[in-house]
Amino acid sequence: MTQQVSSKLMPRDARRREQVAVFSIAQYSFVISAASVQEIRSTDSLGGTVVDLDRPVMKKVRHIVERDGRAYYVVSGYEHFHMPQSRPTTVLILRSAPVAVLVDRIEEMAEMRVLLELPQSFRGDERIWYRGLTVLDRKVLPVANPLGFLTAGELQQLEEQNPGLLQSAAAPQLERGRA
Amino acid sequence: MNTETGSLVPSFVVFQVGTRRVALPQEGVAELIASPLLFSFPHTTPLITGVVLRRGRIVPVLDLGPGLMGALSPPARFFLVVERQTTMISERCAIPVQGECELVTGIMVPAEGRDEFVSGRLDLNEEQIDVLDLEKAIAAGTKNEEETITAAEALS
Repeated sequence: MTQQVSSKLMPRDARRREQVAVFSIAQYSFVISAASVQEIRSTDSLGGTVVDLDRPVMKKVRHIVERDGRAYYVVSGYEHFHMPQSRPTTVLILRSAPVAVLVDRIEEMAEMRVLLELPQSFRGDERIWYRGLTVLDRKVLPVANPLGFLTAGELQQLEEQNPGLLQSAAAPQLERGRA
Repeated sequence: MNTETGSLVPSFVVFQVGTRRVALPQEGVAELIASPLLFSFPHTTPLITGVVLRRGRIVPVLDLGPGLMGALSPPARFFLVVERQTTMISERCAIPVQGECELVTGIMVPAEGRDEFVSGRLDLNEEQIDVLDLEKAIAAGTKNEEETITAAEALS
Protein backbone atom coordinates (compact mmCIF):
# COMPACT_ATOMS: atom_id res chain seq x y z
CA MET A 1 0.00 0.00 0.00
CA THR A 2 1.35 3.40 -0.93
CA GLN A 3 2.22 5.58 2.00
CA GLN A 4 -0.44 8.14 2.81
CA VAL A 5 1.02 11.58 3.31
CA SER A 6 -0.66 14.69 4.57
CA SER A 7 -0.50 16.94 1.55
CA LYS A 8 3.10 17.28 0.54
CA LEU A 9 5.31 15.13 -1.62
CA MET A 10 7.92 13.13 0.34
CA PRO A 11 11.57 12.54 -0.51
CA ARG A 12 11.73 9.94 -3.26
CA ASP A 13 13.40 7.20 -1.19
CA ALA A 14 10.94 7.45 1.69
CA ARG A 15 7.98 6.53 -0.49
CA ARG A 16 6.56 3.09 -0.88
CA ARG A 17 5.36 2.17 -4.30
CA GLU A 18 2.14 0.70 -5.57
CA GLN A 19 1.31 -0.82 -8.94
CA VAL A 20 -1.69 0.86 -10.48
CA ALA A 21 -3.82 0.74 -13.59
CA VAL A 22 -4.62 4.04 -15.28
CA PHE A 23 -8.06 4.01 -16.87
CA SER A 24 -10.17 6.61 -18.59
CA ILE A 25 -13.83 7.51 -18.72
CA ALA A 26 -14.78 10.23 -21.21
CA GLN A 27 -12.06 12.91 -21.02
CA TYR A 28 -10.86 12.01 -17.53
CA SER A 29 -8.14 9.64 -16.36
CA PHE A 30 -8.16 7.80 -13.05
CA VAL A 31 -5.84 5.48 -11.17
CA ILE A 32 -6.79 2.30 -9.34
CA SER A 33 -4.58 -0.03 -7.37
CA ALA A 34 -3.72 -3.10 -9.44
CA ALA A 35 -4.08 -5.23 -6.29
CA SER A 36 -7.75 -4.31 -6.05
CA VAL A 37 -8.50 -5.49 -9.60
CA GLN A 38 -8.99 -9.20 -10.15
CA GLU A 39 -9.40 -9.10 -13.89
CA ILE A 40 -9.53 -6.65 -16.77
CA ARG A 41 -11.67 -7.67 -19.73
CA SER A 42 -13.03 -6.08 -22.84
CA THR A 43 -16.81 -5.94 -22.85
CA ASP A 44 -16.79 -8.13 -25.98
CA SER A 45 -14.83 -10.95 -24.41
CA LEU A 46 -16.39 -10.87 -20.95
CA GLY A 47 -18.47 -14.01 -21.44
CA GLY A 48 -20.61 -15.32 -18.57
CA THR A 49 -24.26 -14.60 -17.99
CA VAL A 50 -25.73 -11.12 -17.73
CA VAL A 51 -28.85 -10.78 -15.57
CA ASP A 52 -31.01 -7.65 -15.47
CA LEU A 53 -31.81 -6.36 -12.01
CA ASP A 54 -35.45 -6.87 -11.03
CA ARG A 55 -35.43 -3.43 -9.43
CA PRO A 56 -32.64 -1.12 -10.55
CA VAL A 57 -32.63 1.12 -7.49
CA MET A 58 -29.78 3.28 -8.74
CA LYS A 59 -29.02 4.57 -12.23
CA LYS A 60 -25.44 3.35 -12.20
CA VAL A 61 -26.32 -0.34 -11.63
CA ARG A 62 -28.69 -2.15 -13.99
CA HIS A 63 -27.16 -5.61 -14.40
CA ILE A 64 -25.39 -8.46 -12.69
CA VAL A 65 -22.72 -10.40 -14.53
CA GLU A 66 -21.72 -13.94 -13.57
CA ARG A 67 -18.17 -14.98 -14.14
CA ASP A 68 -16.33 -18.12 -12.94
CA GLY A 69 -18.95 -18.93 -10.31
CA ARG A 70 -19.09 -15.42 -8.87
CA ALA A 71 -21.58 -12.68 -9.58
CA TYR A 72 -20.85 -8.96 -9.73
CA TYR A 73 -22.98 -5.84 -9.87
CA VAL A 74 -22.05 -3.97 -13.06
CA VAL A 75 -21.41 -0.32 -12.20
CA SER A 76 -21.41 2.22 -15.01
CA GLY A 77 -18.30 4.32 -14.49
CA TYR A 78 -19.71 7.43 -16.11
CA GLU A 79 -22.93 7.27 -14.09
CA HIS A 80 -20.93 6.70 -10.93
CA PHE A 81 -18.80 9.81 -11.51
CA HIS A 82 -21.85 11.87 -12.66
CA MET A 83 -20.44 12.34 -16.13
CA PRO A 84 -22.16 12.61 -19.51
CA GLN A 85 -22.39 9.38 -21.46
CA SER A 86 -19.16 7.73 -22.55
CA ARG A 87 -18.26 4.63 -24.58
CA PRO A 88 -17.29 1.85 -22.20
CA THR A 89 -15.27 -0.93 -23.82
CA THR A 90 -13.55 -2.38 -20.78
CA VAL A 91 -14.62 -3.99 -17.51
CA LEU A 92 -12.61 -3.90 -14.30
CA ILE A 93 -13.65 -6.84 -12.13
CA LEU A 94 -12.79 -5.92 -8.57
CA ARG A 95 -11.32 -8.26 -6.00
CA SER A 96 -12.60 -6.82 -2.75
CA ALA A 97 -16.27 -6.31 -3.64
CA PRO A 98 -18.87 -7.94 -5.91
CA VAL A 99 -18.42 -5.11 -8.38
CA ALA A 100 -17.48 -4.90 -12.07
CA VAL A 101 -16.84 -1.36 -13.30
CA LEU A 102 -17.44 -0.28 -16.89
CA VAL A 103 -14.72 2.11 -18.08
CA ASP A 104 -13.78 3.42 -21.52
CA ARG A 105 -10.28 1.97 -21.69
CA ILE A 106 -7.09 1.11 -19.86
CA GLU A 107 -4.39 3.64 -20.66
CA GLU A 108 -1.40 2.02 -18.98
CA MET A 109 -0.04 0.20 -15.97
CA ALA A 110 2.18 2.39 -13.82
CA GLU A 111 3.90 2.72 -10.48
CA MET A 112 2.37 5.14 -7.99
CA ARG A 113 4.94 6.65 -5.63
CA VAL A 114 2.84 9.04 -3.66
CA LEU A 115 -0.73 9.28 -2.44
CA LEU A 116 -1.84 12.78 -1.46
CA GLU A 117 -4.87 13.57 0.65
CA LEU A 118 -7.81 15.12 -1.12
CA PRO A 119 -7.81 18.81 -0.09
CA GLN A 120 -10.29 19.61 2.69
CA SER A 121 -12.20 21.99 0.43
CA PHE A 122 -13.58 18.95 -1.39
CA ARG A 123 -16.74 18.16 0.60
CA GLY A 124 -18.83 15.98 -1.73
CA ASP A 125 -19.12 12.38 -2.92
CA GLU A 126 -15.52 12.52 -4.12
CA ARG A 127 -14.45 11.85 -0.53
CA ILE A 128 -16.00 8.38 -1.01
CA TRP A 129 -14.97 7.95 -4.64
CA TYR A 130 -11.26 8.60 -4.14
CA ARG A 131 -8.52 7.43 -1.81
CA GLY A 132 -6.68 10.63 -2.68
CA LEU A 133 -4.67 12.11 -5.52
CA THR A 134 -1.43 11.08 -7.11
CA VAL A 135 1.03 12.56 -9.56
CA LEU A 136 1.97 10.51 -12.64
CA ASP A 137 3.97 11.99 -15.52
CA ARG A 138 3.50 15.44 -13.96
CA LYS A 139 -0.28 15.07 -14.06
CA VAL A 140 -2.50 15.05 -10.98
CA LEU A 141 -4.89 12.10 -11.10
CA PRO A 142 -7.55 10.89 -8.68
CA VAL A 143 -6.96 7.47 -7.11
CA ALA A 144 -10.23 5.52 -7.20
CA ASN A 145 -11.38 3.87 -4.00
CA PRO A 146 -12.42 0.31 -4.97
CA LEU A 147 -14.91 0.24 -2.10
CA GLY A 148 -16.40 3.55 -3.26
CA PHE A 149 -18.01 2.26 -6.47
CA LEU A 150 -20.69 0.62 -4.35
CA THR A 151 -20.69 1.53 -0.68
CA ALA A 152 -21.84 -0.93 1.99
CA GLY A 153 -25.13 0.99 2.14
CA GLU A 154 -25.64 0.79 -1.63
CA LEU A 155 -24.84 -2.94 -1.64
CA GLN A 156 -27.37 -3.48 1.12
CA GLN A 157 -29.97 -1.45 -0.79
CA LEU A 158 -29.40 -3.51 -3.96
CA GLU A 159 -29.66 -6.77 -2.02
CA GLU A 160 -32.84 -5.63 -0.24
CA GLN A 161 -34.53 -4.64 -3.50
CA ASN A 162 -33.26 -7.69 -5.43
CA PRO A 163 -33.16 -10.37 -2.74
CA GLY A 164 -31.03 -13.39 -3.55
CA LEU A 165 -30.40 -12.28 -7.14
CA LEU A 166 -26.63 -11.97 -6.74
CA GLN A 167 -26.39 -15.47 -5.22
CA SER A 168 -28.73 -17.04 -7.77
CA ALA A 169 -26.83 -15.45 -10.67
CA ALA A 170 -23.68 -17.21 -9.47
CA ALA A 171 -25.42 -20.52 -8.68
CA PRO A 172 -25.85 -22.05 -12.19
CA GLN A 173 -22.13 -21.86 -12.83
CA LEU A 174 -21.39 -23.46 -9.45
CA GLU A 175 -23.84 -26.25 -10.23
CA ARG A 176 -22.14 -26.87 -13.58
CA GLY A 177 -18.77 -26.90 -11.81
CA ARG A 178 -19.93 -29.53 -9.32
CA ALA A 179 -21.42 -31.71 -12.10
CA MET B 1 1.71 42.68 -8.09
CA ASN B 2 1.98 46.46 -7.60
CA THR B 3 2.94 47.48 -4.11
CA GLU B 4 2.47 50.59 -2.09
CA THR B 5 4.55 51.07 1.03
CA GLY B 6 2.37 50.72 4.07
CA SER B 7 2.80 51.72 7.68
CA LEU B 8 0.37 50.90 10.44
CA VAL B 9 -2.50 51.25 8.03
CA PRO B 10 -3.88 47.82 7.08
CA SER B 11 -3.03 46.39 3.69
CA PHE B 12 -5.38 44.77 1.21
CA VAL B 13 -4.96 42.89 -2.04
CA VAL B 14 -7.27 44.23 -4.73
CA PHE B 15 -8.14 41.81 -7.51
CA GLN B 16 -10.74 41.28 -10.20
CA VAL B 17 -13.18 38.39 -10.50
CA GLY B 18 -14.93 38.65 -13.84
CA THR B 19 -15.94 42.30 -14.04
CA ARG B 20 -15.95 42.99 -10.32
CA ARG B 21 -13.00 44.51 -8.45
CA VAL B 22 -12.85 43.35 -4.84
CA ALA B 23 -10.28 43.10 -2.05
CA LEU B 24 -9.11 40.75 0.68
CA PRO B 25 -7.05 41.58 3.75
CA GLN B 26 -3.40 41.03 2.88
CA GLU B 27 -2.83 38.62 5.81
CA GLY B 28 -5.03 36.04 4.12
CA VAL B 29 -3.22 36.15 0.78
CA ALA B 30 -0.16 33.98 0.18
CA GLU B 31 0.89 34.65 -3.41
CA LEU B 32 -0.12 35.29 -6.99
CA ILE B 33 0.74 32.58 -9.50
CA ALA B 34 0.68 32.80 -13.28
CA SER B 35 -0.57 30.19 -15.72
CA PRO B 36 -0.41 27.08 -13.56
CA LEU B 37 -1.56 23.80 -15.09
CA LEU B 38 -5.10 23.17 -13.95
CA PHE B 39 -6.01 19.53 -13.38
CA SER B 40 -9.69 18.66 -13.22
CA PHE B 41 -11.52 15.46 -12.35
CA PRO B 42 -15.10 14.54 -11.45
CA HIS B 43 -16.40 15.75 -8.09
CA THR B 44 -19.56 17.23 -6.63
CA THR B 45 -18.26 20.17 -4.58
CA PRO B 46 -19.62 23.48 -5.91
CA LEU B 47 -17.16 26.19 -7.03
CA ILE B 48 -14.12 23.92 -7.32
CA THR B 49 -12.85 23.90 -10.90
CA GLY B 50 -9.82 21.67 -10.32
CA VAL B 51 -6.49 21.62 -8.56
CA VAL B 52 -3.02 22.99 -9.22
CA LEU B 53 0.27 21.56 -8.06
CA ARG B 54 2.26 24.22 -6.23
CA ARG B 55 5.62 23.46 -4.59
CA GLY B 56 4.68 19.82 -4.15
CA ARG B 57 1.29 20.62 -2.65
CA ILE B 58 -2.16 20.13 -4.11
CA VAL B 59 -4.06 23.42 -4.10
CA PRO B 60 -7.79 23.38 -4.93
CA VAL B 61 -9.02 26.09 -7.29
CA LEU B 62 -12.19 27.90 -6.17
CA ASP B 63 -14.14 30.13 -8.54
CA LEU B 64 -15.71 33.08 -6.69
CA GLY B 65 -17.65 34.09 -9.82
CA PRO B 66 -20.97 32.40 -8.91
CA GLY B 67 -21.04 34.21 -5.56
CA LEU B 68 -19.84 37.62 -6.74
CA MET B 69 -21.42 37.82 -10.18
CA GLY B 70 -23.89 34.94 -10.36
CA ALA B 71 -21.89 33.31 -13.16
CA LEU B 72 -18.67 31.38 -13.65
CA SER B 73 -15.54 33.47 -14.10
CA PRO B 74 -14.00 33.67 -17.56
CA PRO B 75 -10.74 31.72 -18.09
CA ALA B 76 -7.93 33.21 -16.04
CA ARG B 77 -4.17 33.41 -16.41
CA PHE B 78 -3.53 34.35 -12.80
CA PHE B 79 -4.49 32.62 -9.59
CA LEU B 80 -4.47 34.30 -6.19
CA VAL B 81 -3.48 31.82 -3.50
CA VAL B 82 -5.35 32.49 -0.25
CA GLU B 83 -5.54 30.89 3.18
CA ARG B 84 -8.84 29.33 4.21
CA GLN B 85 -9.22 29.05 7.95
CA THR B 86 -12.48 27.66 9.26
CA THR B 87 -13.36 25.15 11.93
CA MET B 88 -13.40 22.43 9.25
CA ILE B 89 -10.90 23.67 6.67
CA SER B 90 -7.37 24.92 7.08
CA GLU B 91 -5.60 25.03 3.74
CA ARG B 92 -4.55 27.16 0.82
CA CYS B 93 -6.84 27.63 -2.17
CA ALA B 94 -6.33 29.35 -5.50
CA ILE B 95 -8.81 31.88 -6.86
CA PRO B 96 -8.80 32.57 -10.62
CA VAL B 97 -8.47 36.34 -11.16
CA GLN B 98 -8.58 38.55 -14.21
CA GLY B 99 -5.80 41.04 -14.81
CA GLU B 100 -3.35 42.33 -12.26
CA CYS B 101 -3.61 42.38 -8.50
CA GLU B 102 -2.67 45.39 -6.45
CA LEU B 103 -1.43 45.71 -2.89
CA VAL B 104 -2.94 48.80 -1.30
CA THR B 105 -3.21 50.34 2.13
CA GLY B 106 -6.33 51.98 3.42
CA ILE B 107 -8.91 52.18 6.14
CA MET B 108 -11.86 49.89 5.70
CA VAL B 109 -15.20 51.50 6.48
CA PRO B 110 -18.45 49.64 7.15
CA ALA B 111 -20.42 48.83 4.03
CA GLU B 112 -24.06 48.83 4.91
CA GLY B 113 -26.64 47.52 2.52
CA ARG B 114 -24.09 45.62 0.47
CA ASP B 115 -24.00 41.89 -0.24
CA GLU B 116 -23.74 39.83 2.94
CA PHE B 117 -20.26 38.61 1.94
CA VAL B 118 -18.94 42.18 1.94
CA SER B 119 -17.26 42.94 5.25
CA GLY B 120 -16.35 46.55 4.47
CA ARG B 121 -15.40 49.08 1.84
CA LEU B 122 -12.22 50.82 0.74
CA ASP B 123 -12.05 54.21 -0.92
CA LEU B 124 -9.27 54.17 -3.50
CA ASN B 125 -8.92 57.33 -5.56
CA GLU B 126 -12.68 57.74 -5.54
CA GLU B 127 -13.21 54.12 -6.52
CA GLN B 128 -15.09 52.10 -3.94
CA ILE B 129 -13.84 48.55 -3.50
CA ASP B 130 -15.74 45.90 -1.55
CA VAL B 131 -13.64 43.95 0.94
CA LEU B 132 -14.74 40.32 0.99
CA ASP B 133 -15.40 37.94 3.81
CA LEU B 134 -13.91 34.99 1.94
CA GLU B 135 -15.92 32.24 3.63
CA LYS B 136 -19.20 34.12 3.16
CA ALA B 137 -18.34 34.70 -0.51
CA ILE B 138 -17.69 30.97 -0.91
CA ALA B 139 -20.95 30.14 0.88
CA ALA B 140 -22.89 32.54 -1.37
CA GLY B 141 -21.34 30.99 -4.49
CA THR B 142 -22.08 27.48 -3.22
CA LYS B 143 -25.71 28.41 -2.65
CA ASN B 144 -26.03 29.97 -6.13
CA GLU B 145 -24.44 26.98 -7.83
CA GLU B 146 -26.58 24.48 -5.92
CA GLU B 147 -29.70 26.40 -6.92
CA THR B 148 -28.57 26.37 -10.55
CA ILE B 149 -27.98 22.60 -10.43
CA THR B 150 -31.36 22.00 -8.78
CA ALA B 151 -33.08 24.09 -11.45
CA ALA B 152 -31.26 22.27 -14.25
CA GLU B 153 -32.20 18.90 -12.77
CA ALA B 154 -35.83 19.98 -12.50
CA LEU B 155 -35.84 20.95 -16.18
CA SER B 156 -34.13 17.78 -17.41
